Amino acid sequence: MFDPVSLAALVAALGLVLYALFGGADFGGGIWTALAFGPRAREQREALFNAIGPVWETNHVWLIFVVVTLFTAFPTGFAALFIALMTPLVVALVGINFRGAAYAFRHYGRASGREVPFSARVFEIASVLTPFALGMAVSATAAGTITIDNDVVATGTGVWLNPFTVMGGVVGICICACLAPVYMTVRVRGALQEDFRNAAIAAGVALGVVTAAMIPLALQTAPEFSHRLLGSWPMLCVVLAVLAGVATQLLLLLRRYRLAQMTTGATVVLTLAGFAAALHPDLIIQEMPLHAAAAPRSTLIAYLAVLPIGAVILVPSLWFLYWTFRGEPAPEIPPEGKEP
Amino acid sequence: MDNLLAARALMGVSFVFHIIYATLGIGLPLLLMLAEGLALKTGDESWHRIARRWVLPAGVVFAIGAVSGTILSFELGLLWPRFMAFSGAMIGLAFSMEGFAFFTEAIFLSLYFYGERRLSRRALFLCTIPLTLAAAISAIFVISANGWMNTPDGFRIVNGAPSDVLPLRAFANAAWPHEALHGTLAAYVATSFAVAGYYAALVLKGRNVAESKKALVLSLSVAAVAAPLMLVTGDWAADSVAKFQKAKLAAMEAHFKTSAAAPLVIGGWPDPATGKVRYAVRIPKLLSVLAADDPNAVVQGLDAFPQGTTPDPRLVHPFFDLMVGSFFVMAIGLGWFWWLRWRQKAVPDQPRLLKYLIFASPFGIIALESGWLVTEFGRQPWVVQGYLRTSQAVTPNGGMVTVFTTFVIVYLCLTAGMLKLLLRHQGRHTGEVRHV
Ligand code: HDD
Ligand code: HEM
Ligand code: HEM
Repeated sequence: MFDPVSLAALVAALGLVLYALFGGADFGGGIWTALAFGPRAREQREALFNAIGPVWETNHVWLIFVVVTLFTAFPTGFAALFIALMTPLVVALVGINFRGAAYAFRHYGRASGREVPFSARVFEIASVLTPFALGMAVSATAAGTITIDNDVVATGTGVWLNPFTVMGGVVGICICACLAPVYMTVRVRGALQEDFRNAAIAAGVALGVVTAAMIPLALQTAPEFSHRLLGSWPMLCVVLAVLAGVATQLLLLLRRYRLAQMTTGATVVLTLAGFAAALHPDLIIQEMPLHAAAAPRSTLIAYLAVLPIGAVILVPSLWFLYWTFRGEPAPEIPPEGKEP
Repeated sequence: MDNLLAARALMGVSFVFHIIYATLGIGLPLLLMLAEGLALKTGDESWHRIARRWVLPAGVVFAIGAVSGTILSFELGLLWPRFMAFSGAMIGLAFSMEGFAFFTEAIFLSLYFYGERRLSRRALFLCTIPLTLAAAISAIFVISANGWMNTPDGFRIVNGAPSDVLPLRAFANAAWPHEALHGTLAAYVATSFAVAGYYAALVLKGRNVAESKKALVLSLSVAAVAAPLMLVTGDWAADSVAKFQKAKLAAMEAHFKTSAAAPLVIGGWPDPATGKVRYAVRIPKLLSVLAADDPNAVVQGLDAFPQGTTPDPRLVHPFFDLMVGSFFVMAIGLGWFWWLRWRQKAVPDQPRLLKYLIFASPFGIIALESGWLVTEFGRQPWVVQGYLRTSQAVTPNGGMVTVFTTFVIVYLCLTAGMLKLLLRHQGRHTGEVRHV
């Protein structure tokens, strides 16, 4: 378990989890901007928009972290994945770009006193499209459709487009949609808080339904994966994830928002942990084990040695960032120097 | 366009695009730090106002820098999976360390930008220090990866695959020191000249003159420190290229035939068919002096290497001259400005000088882009010098032309959106009403 390959795999999985927790909430903000409802739709959009502002860039660095970890520690696997999954990755990349740019334009456009509705629309569409494409790409590693024959990686639509990966994409969207409103309940008050509570409950139900539907689907279309998932201790993650999900719903009903925030986070972590545990010891199920995908030992060790050094700088800085921008999201438009 | 060409074109376009924002992302924090520091030290609030006025445009620039950087990190896999399978273990460390630097940069950027109401002025200034350092360090780290492609080190080839990998050795490859230093300083030169041009234009139009002059002095001070270092580090770079990348040197200098007492060829159009350089100026023996410190030394020409292993001088030589030429364009502006500043004991505002500074302002970024093109085109046909050809590195996936087109559209949209926003911001900011 504690050989460099497994440790590096653990780091990659951890990066993915953090991206899901932070970047996912960020996408969720975009999804609920699109789905804003009721008489306070405008206020909901405003609150989401302001909450994303200061942490937007940091949230997305986790994706870079995952990509870099993959190509440093698992270069062969990285190459195979990026060959097989080119299309969904290109779609996700285009989505990330338009989303980031639209957000920035809207943000700074508004700061100079204008709303930019076109950017807002792009932002919403990209917020749905990107987690869908990423969810597809991640679930494709478990679908059993990526095949490697004598170092030749299969390409084509069938590799990434099938019922299992489509559902994986939908799960991706639901995870994002769950996180954002729960985080928001902690940060706003009054009627707006009730709105986000309702949104969170709806998204939680959707996530439950979709993941439940995923299991019979997996049995049919991804037999190896479902066999491993339901076979042994990955099953424990699944059970705990279900419990955490149910607890979230109860806590939301009881309006215990701080606890609900933790259990939602736990649901996402456990869902992904179950996925990763079922995939283990492969990077691409049945085709490429982690150790075959991995870089030489010296690289893995150097990489693992760099991590704690980086963490010493990063963790306090990150904490300071989230601490500074805690509480009620303010329309924190960067103020300019006043004209003399 | 075939698959390989489309992939190369996309990689090139992506870098040329990213490096503009990356450059500003390295240079602007330094200027912000200096301005905020001056405000605290002198108690002169106008420095703070100057710095805060950059927050909006810099925010857009940073956002585009981040998304274009994300495109690049994906493109390494989407376009060059075989390159990454070959070199990930060697260059990954540089990227991982860079990742931490980015992360730190993004955090302190948010704190500085959004923290005006939540942090003290002193804390705001303190945030600009890790911001500036992290930006520079991220450049120094990522350039190690590029240095490794030029002078690969830290591995052995066994059965066609790299083995016995020494990651630190790969990280500290021969080209890294000069590329990192010359390349990072270039970002300061390019940013400070671009900023100086902007303020020169404001002074020329008589807008907000007192503050604009201060900002002009600040940016040209940074340039005055960094630009002479470009000459020194550039010379070092040329020495190192002469030692480790002989084919690149020959292409840079359009030096076709191996010869003793080689002349330095300036300008002109190299013609590989005839091996001649048309319309060029030649300075006798200078290339031998520059490359080997000996006027009669033999310098290898492109003919010294097996056919099909050398870069195309038509893509390398002109850009090399453009880089060096741009240096002189900027040096004239700097000399002129500081000479008058010294003579008049006041910030000079002669319209001719200001107009010249406006003219010179894009040459930092022009030099930087052309320098990178020299490095990249000069390495062809190799992606990893001597080990892996670009044609072997490309993805087996078809449809690169579609991907290329898609991303060109993405870049066009990003540019259009940004220009629209910044120009509008500009109009509002200077109190001008724009009728479109
Ligand atoms: C403001 C920008 C700028 C300016 C004024 C100069 N350069 Fe430069 N140069 C760069 C910006 C740059 C760069 C874009 O940053 C490069 C690309 C790779 C690198 O390390 O730096 C570069 C590369 C580069 C290389 C190739 C290094 C390699 O491939 O390993 C050489 C030989 C020089 N430069 C030499 C010079 C000389 C002799 C200059 C004299 C005046 C000069 N540069 C001015
Ligand atoms: C930042 C400035 C850079 C610019 C402007 C730049 C530009 C280019 C261009 C124009 C190409 C196409 C080459 C050709 O078609 O002949 C290219 C290729 C490439 N560059 Fe760079 N590059 C830069 C830095 C880097 C760095 C830091 C890396 C680090 C890994 C890198 C990696 C690559 C790769 C993998 C290719 C594709 C293979 C090739 O054609 O050589 N580049 N780049
Ligand atoms: C010499 C070449 C390069 C230099 C000097 C450079 C420098 C920078 C800088 C200073 C930033 C922060 C800019 C900002 O936030 O506006 C940045 C962003 C970024 N760059 Fe580059 N870069 C180079 C090449 C590359 C390469 C080869 C890659 C990846 C393959 C890359 C990936 C990224 C990424 C992912 C970001 C976004 C980080 C964030 O979210 O803040 N860059 N680059």
